[in-house]
Amino acid sequence: MAKKGLQTSNKDIINLAKIVGEKAILYKQPDLLAYDCDGFTIHKHLPKCVVFPNSTEEVAEIVKYCDANQLPFLARGAGTGLSGGAIPLNGEVIISLVKMKRLITVDLENRRAVVEPGFVNLKLTNSIANKGYYYAPDPSSQYACTIGGNVAENAGGAHCLKYGVTTNHILGLEVIMPNGEIVEISTNGVPDAPGYDLLGLLTGSEGTLGIVTKITVRILKNPEAKQTVLAYFDKVADGSQAVSDIISSGIVPAALEMMDKTAIEGVEAAAFPVGHPKDIEALLLIEVDGISAGIEEQINQILEVCKKRNVREVKVAGSEEERGRWWANRKTGFGAMGAISPDYLVQDGVIPRSKLPEVLARINQISEESGLRISNIFHAGDGNLHPLVLFDARIPGETEKALKAGSACLQVCADVGGTITGEHGVGIEKREEMRFVFTDREILAQTDVREVFNPKNLLNAGKLFPSPSRCAEVKKDLKEALKTS
Amino acid sequence: MITSDLKEELKKVVPEERIKENHELENIFGNTGKVIVATETEEEISSLLRYANTNGKKISVIGGGTKRGFGGVNEAEDILLSLANYKGIIEHTVGDMTLTVKAGTTLKEIQDYLVDFNQKISLDPTWPEEATIGGVIAANDSGPKRLGYGSARDVVIGLRVVYPDGSVIRSGGKVVKNVAGYDMNKLFIGSMGTIGVISEVTVKLRPVPKYESLVLLSFPDGELSEIKSFVVSFLDSVMEPITLELLNPSLVEKLVGQKSYTLAISFEDVKSSVLYQEEFVNRIKPPTAEMKILERALAMAFWEQFYHLSPRASMSGHQTEASVKIGVVNLDVLKVIQKAEQISDAYNLHIDANGGLGHGLCQVHLYGASEDVEGAIKELRAYASSLGGYATIKHLPLVLRQKVSVWGERPSYFFLVEGIKKKIDPNKILNPNRFIGGI
Repeated sequence: MAKKGLQTSNKDIINLAKIVGEKAILYKQPDLLAYDCDGFTIHKHLPKCVVFPNSTEEVAEIVKYCDANQLPFLARGAGTGLSGGAIPLNGEVIISLVKMKRLITVDLENRRAVVEPGFVNLKLTNSIANKGYYYAPDPSSQYACTIGGNVAENAGGAHCLKYGVTTNHILGLEVIMPNGEIVEISTNGVPDAPGYDLLGLLTGSEGTLGIVTKITVRILKNPEAKQTVLAYFDKVADGSQAVSDIISSGIVPAALEMMDKTAIEGVEAAAFPVGHPKDIEALLLIEVDGISAGIEEQINQILEVCKKRNVREVKVAGSEEERGRWWANRKTGFGAMGAISPDYLVQDGVIPRSKLPEVLARINQISEESGLRISNIFHAGDGNLHPLVLFDARIPGETEKALKAGSACLQVCADVGGTITGEHGVGIEKREEMRFVFTDREILAQTDVREVFNPKNLLNAGKLFPSPSRCAEVKKDLKEALKTS
Repeated sequence: MITSDLKEELKKVVPEERIKENHELENIFGNTGKVIVATETEEEISSLLRYANTNGKKISVIGGGTKRGFGGVNEAEDILLSLANYKGIIEHTVGDMTLTVKAGTTLKEIQDYLVDFNQKISLDPTWPEEATIGGVIAANDSGPKRLGYGSARDVVIGLRVVYPDGSVIRSGGKVVKNVAGYDMNKLFIGSMGTIGVISEVTVKLRPVPKYESLVLLSFPDGELSEIKSFVVSFLDSVMEPITLELLNPSLVEKLVGQKSYTLAISFEDVKSSVLYQEEFVNRIKPPTAEMKILERALAMAFWEQFYHLSPRASMSGHQTEASVKIGVVNLDVLKVIQKAEQISDAYNLHIDANGGLGHGLCQVHLYGASEDVEGAIKELRAYASSLGGYATIKHLPLVLRQKVSVWGERPSYFFLVEGIKKKIDPNKILNPNRFIGGI
């Protein structure tokens, strides 16, 4: 950050520095390099500058300044997003919320907490764990990602099968509108506030409708007990069938994860190997939690299902330590692909669970056609697939090939009645793929909502929706159709 | 335009047999229409809306009619669009535990259909045999079990909505996890039919629990502080109640014959877990509290009866009936229920009240003379807002709705709500004045 005195004559930077202080703004090119992308590294663009506000009022002032001076801007948390939502495509002023990382209140009796957007996800759970409480959404990046970013992306995680995703845990928000106005929605956590469900719209809007500056979340009591099962299958089809059988037997597992052979090769070569056999085709990681007295019955049922589906080996975690190792192995699964491939691209399709075997076969086919290996790590219980396309960016043309293969995987998901993203968001990455699932009229319905919140489109422009030309045409067509009818 | 002309015009828009002149305009709840159109396809809904939008006609939307006393200050619009005949299961993927139904299907029809598959929709609104899924979602109705299973926003995964211009918008999809684009489902849940007509609903299902029971814990001394300290320690435990609903004495009397504050605590899980949790309650309950356990069949019967106690539009009596939904911070439910008791005495009203101590929503039903009901509602609302909450009138005759605001003060974010309405329904054709701030 700047040492003493600003070394620039740019009036916007000078004026923004007046709001946040000279030490809380980055504007020199070498400093900006770290902000040219987020966890999606294929597109890069330098921001105009990065400001680090310390309060709601400072964010509001920055936004007002940008609005008045027609400067594009966007909010950024920890930069762990996987779809490019925080990439300054238009040379934005980046409003980094990392300094706003206070835990404002915890109210255990009413099971709510208020945090600032830069508060790290896992820290919330850690802050209340001694009282036996936790915050449920647990994206794999939870040790680093911020709750503000989770709200923007409506982040999920391995345990959302039973407990839901971020939107199911947000009770209230304080939001800075793109004109700088501060709006409070149910910040005290009272449910069903009269009016349209703005909380629901804002959560998952990928930072295009407003900037959240305070978040009221629901906190939960830790379940009394947990049991985790690891099951190895020789055939992917058996593993997928076991997933369906478990769900339809009436058990609601807390988590139900699957990895295929290539993914297992990756995690075993990386930092947290647990000794999975190399020659199996699929593994399931299944967790059941709840009242102790009821867990055993459910675990026995799961073991039975696995046996019926020709499981090679199935075991129950013998200790918390063993359970922890299994989860570390799984949660670091994306990064682990680095151990077997120079680069990888994560996809995030969702399918109806029952289509799993068919979809995996088609992804296999995409892999063969593209000549790129594709590993699969997924939240099998809720049908959320993460195909990881392995490639080498140093080989000319291979990045494009990987992008194409990734997009083809999403087309498969859309074809079977699924969707293109379950938790990573559209961002820059999947803008065009939005057309796989939405008509132009449906996209227009969404950009109409954006216009209400963000009429000048200075906030995080160019994200989430495919190129606007066609939508504008639809609008024109509609108007004409209405005139003539 | 006189009604017969409108009827003639509508014949060009939808099949003649769907159209009927309304001869019962003097409904005490309003929200009706001069001409009733009972559509049977989505295309018909779409044609009707397109016609209304281009010809300046206003539409009121109705499903099972249980919520006709909810919102709105007009006796009749031009058209009453009924979805009651637009019903049926469209798709049920048993293994995926997802279900798509037409909006006019009643909750009871859906649950009856699902029972063979050991599945259910985890919403528990009142009057399930009359309330349609479309209406429940448009009004965001929920019951005590939302503590365990969430409300419409946690259950709905996809919608088809007919926009005022006649176009059909799909939101969400058929998968349980989805962040493609804005979460547009949320926009329509609780929108009171003011920005689109929900035509199809896709929900995620839950397994029917292997076992369930209901613990009724009554507090004959009526000491609220005693109830509170029990609830606080119970909520701080690892128990997993599906309901933790406080019922006021008169409501308890209707349900089980005994007149004292009672907590209705449901457990739904495998049997061993349910029994263990019953035992836990028994262990920590205060000595003066009386505990009764209703096993599965009786527990179900209790709730069945509970869902049929709130006033709705088809009821008619000599006295005024009203229903108010109050939202507060969870434990403030205790204060609201207590306040309702006091108001009952002060205004000489019969009041049934219940509220979820784990989710913060109360339902207060008032019966009595209209001026007393009016005064009591105002006092309840003032009290709710002093606690940082709100009061919404879910049921009240039209004449009173014209005097007492159904939704209360406009919230500070109203400009966004209004902006959305203007964007989607600029001609204000759908359920005009039915929602907050006159939108």
